[in-house]
Amino acid sequence: MRDYEKYIRYRTFPTPWCPGCGDGIVLKSIAMVFAEMNILPDDIVVVSGIGCSGRMPTYFNTNTLHTTHGRALTFATGIKLARPEKMVVVISGDGDATAIGGNHLIHAARRNIGIKMILINNGVYGMTGGQVSPLTPQNFITETTPYGNIEPKFMASELLIAAKASFVARETVVRPIQMKQVIKKSFEHKGFSVVEVISNCHINLGRRNKMKDPMSMCDWIASRTVTQTEFDKLTPEERNHKYPVGILFEDKERLEYSELYYNHLVPAAKAAAGKKGAEEK
Amino acid sequence: MEKFERQTNEEALARRAKKKPSPKKNEITTVLSYCKGCGLCVDICPTGTLQLEDNIESKFGVSIRVDAPEYCIGCKMCEQRCPDFAIFVNYEEKDKQ
Amino acid sequence: MSKREVLQGNIIAAKAAIAAGCNFFAGYPITPSSEVAQYMSKELPKLGYDFIQMEDEIASLGACIGASLAGKKALTATSGPGFSLMQEHLGMAVMAEIPLVIINVMRGGPSTGLPTKPSQADMLQARWGTHGDHPIIAVYPAFSDEIYSETIRAFNLSEKFWTPVIILMDEIMGKAHEDIIIPEVKDISVIDGVEHKLDDDLNIYDRQIGEIPPRVDFFKGYPIHIDGLEHDRHGWPTIEPDLVDKMQRLRMEKVYTRLDEIIKFKEYYMDDAEIMIFSFGVSARSSLAAVKALRQQGIKVGLFQALTIWPFPERELKDRFKRIKKVLTVELNMGQMKIEVERVASDDVQTKALLRANGIPFTPAEVMLSVKEFVK
Repeated sequence: MRDYEKYIRYRTFPTPWCPGCGDGIVLKSIAMVFAEMNILPDDIVVVSGIGCSGRMPTYFNTNTLHTTHGRALTFATGIKLARPEKMVVVISGDGDATAIGGNHLIHAARRNIGIKMILINNGVYGMTGGQVSPLTPQNFITETTPYGNIEPKFMASELLIAAKASFVARETVVRPIQMKQVIKKSFEHKGFSVVEVISNCHINLGRRNKMKDPMSMCDWIASRTVTQTEFDKLTPEERNHKYPVGILFEDKERLEYSELYYNHLVPAAKAAAGKKGAEEK
Repeated sequence: MEKFERQTNEEALARRAKKKPSPKKNEITTVLSYCKGCGLCVDICPTGTLQLEDNIESKFGVSIRVDAPEYCIGCKMCEQRCPDFAIFVNYEEKDKQ
Repeated sequence: MSKREVLQGNIIAAKAAIAAGCNFFAGYPITPSSEVAQYMSKELPKLGYDFIQMEDEIASLGACIGASLAGKKALTATSGPGFSLMQEHLGMAVMAEIPLVIINVMRGGPSTGLPTKPSQADMLQARWGTHGDHPIIAVYPAFSDEIYSETIRAFNLSEKFWTPVIILMDEIMGKAHEDIIIPEVKDISVIDGVEHKLDDDLNIYDRQIGEIPPRVDFFKGYPIHIDGLEHDRHGWPTIEPDLVDKMQRLRMEKVYTRLDEIIKFKEYYMDDAEIMIFSFGVSARSSLAAVKALRQQGIKVGLFQALTIWPFPERELKDRFKRIKKVLTVELNMGQMKIEVERVASDDVQTKALLRANGIPFTPAEVMLSVKEFVK
C-alpha cells in the first residue's frame, strides 16, 4: 500500500467525476502531501462547498465535512478557532468560492485564519450542467451564455493578494508534480493560504468550446500557463488569456488569527479581569 | 447503426517507436473497477506503454491496457496523473512516493 | 451566594449560556440582539473561550456549526433579517444532526421592519423557515427568570437530541432591565452530548426510531463524514429511496416521539377556568396581569403560557379543550400561533384571537377588554 492511500476512503469509491476530470488529480496530490507531511488522519479535517469539487471530502479518510454553497470557509473558521492545532483544509470551486462565497473569501484572507484553501478553478458551474461562473473566460459558450460570455473574468489569486492573504499560489492539473509541491508549501504555511488550481471541465465547458476530451482541454490549459516573470512582460490584453503560476505571494511574518486570539487577546482579557477583580476587592 | 470501434492512440504508438524496451523491469498494477478510460495516462506516458480498450466488464465500458509492459521506464507519471487511483507503478516497492 | 441583580434580558440569556457550557459565540450585530454578542465578546475571552464577529449571519451560523462539530457548545444571536439569512444553515444543522443554539430576539417585520420595536411574528418561520421536512425545537421565555432557565434548557435539549434549538425572545424582554436572582451553580443542571464509541462500521446515524443518533464529533479518532446531502448511516451521500425514507423518519421521530422530554408550559388559574388565554413571551406577561385583574372581578379566565413553542403543545391543549370551550390567542402578529390553536381545537370550542403587529405590545387592559367581549 502506498502511504498516501492511508488518506483515501476507498469504501466510497469510485469517484463521481467525469472520466479525465482534474478533480481526481487534486485529490491524489493532496493525499500525497498529507503523506509527505506525515500528519495523523484524525488531525485533519477537509471541508468543502457545493459543486464537483464539493464532493471531494467524501473520498478522504480523515474528518470530512460537506457544507453549503459558498460557505465552506465559515465552517472552517469555526473549526479552526475551536481547534487551532488541527489542519483545516477547504476545497472550493470557482463558482462556490468567488460568486456566492466571494465575501467569505475576502474575510478569511483578511483575518489570516490558518485555513489551507484549494480553489479549483475550472471556469464553469460543472455540477449543475455547465453555467457561466465569474472565472469563465470571456466569449466562452456556456449553458447560460449561449451567445458568448460578455463578462470578463477576474483573477482570483490576485484578488486574494489584495485582500491580504498571506500565501497565494496558482498551479494547474496539467503540472501535477509542481502542483503537489506548491500544495505542500501552502500546507506548511501558518496563516491563510490559497492554491488556485486551474482544472479541466471538458464535459460541461470544453465540449461547448471545441475541447471535448480531457487531452485537448489540458493542452489548452498548458498553452495559457506562464511564469510570473513572463506574465509581467505581457500587454494588458495578452494578460487576459494567460495564467501566471507558482507561488505568487508569501508573507511568513503575519500572525495567524487563532495565534493572535489565544496568545494575545485571551491573556489580555484575563489580565484585565484579574486587575479589575483585584480593584473590586 | 455503425458500431463504435475504439481507435488506437497513434501518438502513443509513435512515441513508443522512438524508444527501446527498458533495461529495468517495471511492474504496472491496474485497478479496472476504478478505471474510467479517460486516457490521461495513455497521453502522458513518455514511452507509449499504455493504450485504452473496450471492456464490457468495466462499469464505464472502457479500461486501461498495458500494451507494452517492457517499455515502462517506471517514471510514475501515469500514477501521478490518474484521477481515479486506477494505476500504480511498482506497487510492491517499499519506497515512499 | 446568589444575589438579586438588575440585568438586561439579552445579558441574562448570555450569562445563562455560559452557565450552560457555551464556549463559542459567532455572531453579527443586529438590533435588538447585539448586547448578547457584546457581552460574549467581553466574557468569553476571559474564560479562554472563543468569540468571533463574522461578516454576516450566514457566516455566523456556519462558524457555529463548524465549532460544534469540533466539540464546542456554540451560540449565536440575531433578529428577523438575520434569522432569515440563517435558515439554510439551520436546515443543515438539522439534517446532519448538529447541536447548536440560536437566539432570535424578534422585532417588527417583515424585511427591515421595525428594528426597535417588538413583535412575535417569526413563530411560524421558526418552525418552517428552512426548506424541506424537518423537526424543530423552539422555546420562548416570558419573564426574566425564565430567560435564564429556558436558555439552559435550550442548550440541554440541543445536546441531548443532537439538533439545533431556537430561543425566541422579543425586543421588550431582550432590552428591558429587570431584577433576577441568578441561580447558584450547584442548582443548575447541564447536559453534555453523549460520547459514543464507534466500531469499524463507523455508523453515526442509524438507530431505532425515537433514539438519538450515535454520533461523534470530529477529532475523536474516527474518520467521520458530515454532509448536508441526504446520507446513509455513515454520513456518506445516498439517494437510495429506502435509506432516504429511513433517515427522514429517524430525524423527525427523534423529536416527535419524545414530546414529554421537550414540551414545557405554565398554567395560571386554569383549574376552574371557562375561558383560556393561550399566549407566550411578552403577550403572556400582559395576559397574566389581565387574568389576575379579571379574577378579581369574578371572571373565570385562565392562562396557558407556552414555554416550548415547537413542538406545539397539541396534546396538552386538546386535554384542556375537553373542559374549556373558549380560547383566546393573544399574540403580537397578524395571526400565526392562532392557526395552530384553531387546528387543534375541536368543533365545539370557540376560538378568538387578539392580534396586532404595529410594534406596540398589548396592555393588560386591552387583553381584559378582549376577554370580556368573549364572555358575552
